[in-house]
Amino acid sequence: MNVRAAIRRLFGIALTLIAVSVGMFWASASYARRPGAQHASPFAAFPVFFNPRPSGVRDLSTRALHAIAHGGQPAVGARLSLARLGGAALPYVLPALDSLDPRSRERVALALTPIAVRMEVATREELTDGAQAVLFWTRFWQDRAIDFRTASVRHLTARLAERSIALRREDLIHVDTFALPELIEALGRVETLADVARIQRLNAVLAHITDLPVFCAPDANVDDARRVVDTWQDFWDLHGSEYSALDGPRRLAATFVETQYAKWLAAVLRGGLGRTQSGQHAVDLVSEGLTTTSFLLFVGLGGGFPLGVVWTRFERRSHRPVTRLASAVAGTALAAIPCATFVRLFSGWAAGLLSAICIVTITTAAWVSRHLARSTMSQSVSPIAAAFSVSAPLGATYPPFVLSAIVLVELAFHLPGLGRTAALSLASGDVNAWMAASLSLASASLLLRHAADLIRPRALQSELGSSS
Amino acid sequence: MNEPLSAKRRLALAAGGAALLVLLATVLAPLSPQLQAYARGLAFAVLAGLSIMAVAFIVALPLGALAASGPRVIDWGLRFTCDLVGSLPTVFVAAVFWAGTSRISSFVCGLGVLRGLEQAWLLRCEIVRLEAEDPDAAPRSLGRTPLVAFLRRRMAAALGPLFVSASFSVAWLTALDAAVSQAGFRPPTTLATWGVLLGSPHPSPLPALLAAGSVAWLTVALHALFRPPSVS
Repeated sequence: MNVRAAIRRLFGIALTLIAVSVGMFWASASYARRPGAQHASPFAAFPVFFNPRPSGVRDLSTRALHAIAHGGQPAVGARLSLARLGGAALPYVLPALDSLDPRSRERVALALTPIAVRMEVATREELTDGAQAVLFWTRFWQDRAIDFRTASVRHLTARLAERSIALRREDLIHVDTFALPELIEALGRVETLADVARIQRLNAVLAHITDLPVFCAPDANVDDARRVVDTWQDFWDLHGSEYSALDGPRRLAATFVETQYAKWLAAVLRGGLGRTQSGQHAVDLVSEGLTTTSFLLFVGLGGGFPLGVVWTRFERRSHRPVTRLASAVAGTALAAIPCATFVRLFSGWAAGLLSAICIVTITTAAWVSRHLARSTMSQSVSPIAAAFSVSAPLGATYPPFVLSAIVLVELAFHLPGLGRTAALSLASGDVNAWMAASLSLASASLLLRHAADLIRPRALQSELGSSS
Repeated sequence: MNEPLSAKRRLALAAGGAALLVLLATVLAPLSPQLQAYARGLAFAVLAGLSIMAVAFIVALPLGALAASGPRVIDWGLRFTCDLVGSLPTVFVAAVFWAGTSRISSFVCGLGVLRGLEQAWLLRCEIVRLEAEDPDAAPRSLGRTPLVAFLRRRMAAALGPLFVSASFSVAWLTALDAAVSQAGFRPPTTLATWGVLLGSPHPSPLPALLAAGSVAWLTVALHALFRPPSVS
């Protein structure tokens, strides 16, 4: 095979894996939407692949502003939403106050009170009256609008990350959630104790402005700090767009970025294939299960395929019709009886890796022998040559068959393999674990198919060469 | 089953097998609710198996022929689709079908299409192999040679692997159903199938044994029915 063909094949595998990941993500999302499903991904509220109307802080705050201005029942939820959006919403809400009628203006100004309290710029008692609240916020914006700029917040964040001074912390608290993008970015990687100290300083501000109970103890070590960073990263993945303005190209990008699939992809690109619901890196889950599944797959394939060839050879060379008939019926019956039956038979008293290997090997042998029996009937070549000649179609149909058998034995015998991990994570809605495990299974399946495709022409050529 | 059997004998064997099963189910059904479940499972297995076979043939025959002898883009498309659907254990695909479809007929049709794609690839590979072995055959000649000649010579000779695969349709469906039940992916439904009998945590021995035996028997009968005349 020349280099060009190899590159083309590799490109094909990569393209297929991308398409497979899309298909599997769709499968996971479809399964999660089934009636009566209890476990949902935190990203379930996002569209799966395309977000036609991504919402940024401008959209959300404008929507909340109008709902509060109109009053009534929708205003209750809007007030909560505005309080959560916090300082990030102020650049859009405060300049719009003048466009409202006096009564609506007072309602909006009063709705901003929780933000003022959190920003430590006023007390509740100071903002109980509508007119007083309007006056406060008008003056606030006249004095502080200049602080609500990305460059100045970035500067403040960098200084806090470098060294702790109470004044720097207060400056960031005064801009509230407007500082979130810079604070999250400043978390960075945690390698040393100096990084731990930085995380402690940033976490204190983050926990304050988001009202989330995330703690980083004074005696925290590197692992503790990493867990804190992961928590904030998860928060940002889920809510980041709510605190960011989606303008121009960012809005266009958000049609893909603000989807479930893109959120998973972002977690994968950050490393470790994302984290599972239990907090473990998905790549660790894959490396744990890979040994068992590979062992089952390759021993099953390595034992079952030659056994199937020998079986067919025996059946074909036998002179007694009764023996041939018995062999054919036994092979067909073994291939036909559902694997679940054998799994159930063994599960009580002989559940274990050895039984699992036996089941996978015997079902593979029966399945291969039935396909080869038909193939050798129409060809005057040996079963071994027939095995190679039908390797391409077998390569296409064998992997889903054997992987299903592996999933079953791993589940029933409690073997820590990828099939079991994939099944359990699909059932529990753990998207990252499902994608990691099922992509590994898909890679194994693709490798088997391409290997079958590669050996076929050479084997046929050698067979033809020897026969001539 | 590698012995030559006439078409009449094969048909008689298959019909006899099916009749025996129906008779058995009719006799046993009134005896107990579990045996009634077995009889209902038989009806489902036969009807759904036949539907899957029919849908699979409808998908596989034109697609396989076009991929093997038609434009290259169809071949590429079929390979890509087969890679895609074949990358996952079928038990997960079936679980998603169960979850996503509200009717049994949609579920069965979905499985039929899945099976059809697999069989289309088998057919495509066999036609390509036969074309490679035949020095007179021109590759990708569909459209340039008369269709009748193509169907009589190439297609008729290439149907072997497809028939082997088709004869396992009932077994494939039951295995999939049992696997989905055993893995806990089957939605709660009143539909009694052999998959539930075989895949439930505590199966009743007699109906499960009957179901497993019936699957094997049906498959052997279908295998014999689909067997083409042997070539000397």
